[in-house]
Amino acid sequence: MAASLSSIGNVRVLSALAWSSSLCSFSGSRGLHVTVSCCKNRAARIRVGKGDKPVTYEQAHHPHHIGHRKGWLSQHTSNLKGEDGAAERTVEDVFIRRFMFGTFHGCLANEIVIKRRGNLLNVCAVMLQKLPPQKFYFLIGYTESLLSHFYKCPVKLEIQTLQDKIVYKYL
Amino acid sequence: FIGARYHFSFHLIRLQSCSKAASRGQTFKKQNRRKVNNKDRNREGPASLSVCSGHRKCNITRFHLPLTPSTSFHTTVLTSAAQSAITVTEEPDTLFQKLVVLVKGHDRAVLDSYEFFATMTAKELGISLGKVFEPPKDIERLTLLKSIHIFKKHRVQYEMRTHYRCIELHHITGCTAQVYLEYIQRNLPEGVAMEVTKTAMEKVPDHILEPMWKEIPTDDKPSQ
Repeated sequence: MAASLSSIGNVRVLSALAWSSSLCSFSGSRGLHVTVSCCKNRAARIRVGKGDKPVTYEQAHHPHHIGHRKGWLSQHTSNLKGEDGAAERTVEDVFIRRFMFGTFHGCLANEIVIKRRGNLLNVCAVMLQKLPPQKFYFLIGYTESLLSHFYKCPVKLEIQTLQDKIVYKYL
Repeated sequence: FIGARYHFSFHLIRLQSCSKAASRGQTFKKQNRRKVNNKDRNREGPASLSVCSGHRKCNITRFHLPLTPSTSFHTTVLTSAAQSAITVTEEPDTLFQKLVVLVKGHDRAVLDSYEFFATMTAKELGISLGKVFEPPKDIERLTLLKSIHIFKKHRVQYEMRTHYRCIELHHITGCTAQVYLEYIQRNLPEGVAMEVTKTAMEKVPDHILEPMWKEIPTDDKPSQ
């Protein structure tokens, strides 16, 4: 993020040499003050570019729009007040997302939605029609059985397929 | 089907609002009180909701009407396996003065729709609703460093909002409470947690019903 001064982004280096030279008449201090003043957030955002990058609805909206224009990608109760198990659920979610990304490589149209209802783990994904249906069915069954053995709970996969990714805008 | 003899049974499950007896605090000793077994309740749950809208007495009555195929009775044939699942016990049912269902979630819209569903279910089953209100939300805020190394002055803030919804039901029997809670909980949306508080009522013990000084007027009172 703003760790290195040489990063290209929105980092402006204010060198106080010019400052101190203009103000040093009464302060008397001389030194190099380097501040990164314009530390914009970079999390989960795609920066505005030339206008040739297609971007989905999920990617186009920034994280502060969650709850207002976006929904939640991972739905469980451990982040509520008085509930525990947040860290375990987060680790499981990260693993499931990476697993799905790798198993259905190049086929995912959008982010994966993970819902937990009681013991049941529901993984909902939107896929592109890149593979023949038989391969899809095999991969779905393989994922379901492997994840349910791994997490010791029933895992259901809900897949929808599309021709192409839905583009919301070009950034 | 010609020549077959069909035999169907009606299951009428009507749930009770026992306001009179409950307010007196007495236990029930009715012969009609039956406890519904799990299997039957699961199967009959959705069907019974449509049957018993508006009924207020707690009775599970079964009528066996053997019919010959010559009659032109067209009703659904319920399987006879369901009859054996209902167990009949004579022990009195627990009574709850208040049943408080508190649901917590991150999304207010989800809680709105769940509250509508729960109140509609209670109305259809004839359960007397108390207050349905929204306790104020809780926000847990975290202020973390934005950068992985140095830049202490630049932080980033996150917050986690928990919205609540509280539904109170009054004067409910144990059977009804079990059925209602099971139906509610099976349809709980993901990302929503529920806490249930039950306030049960018990019969006042016999030895304190009558004050001591009334029974033995001539004896001395040791404890004054």
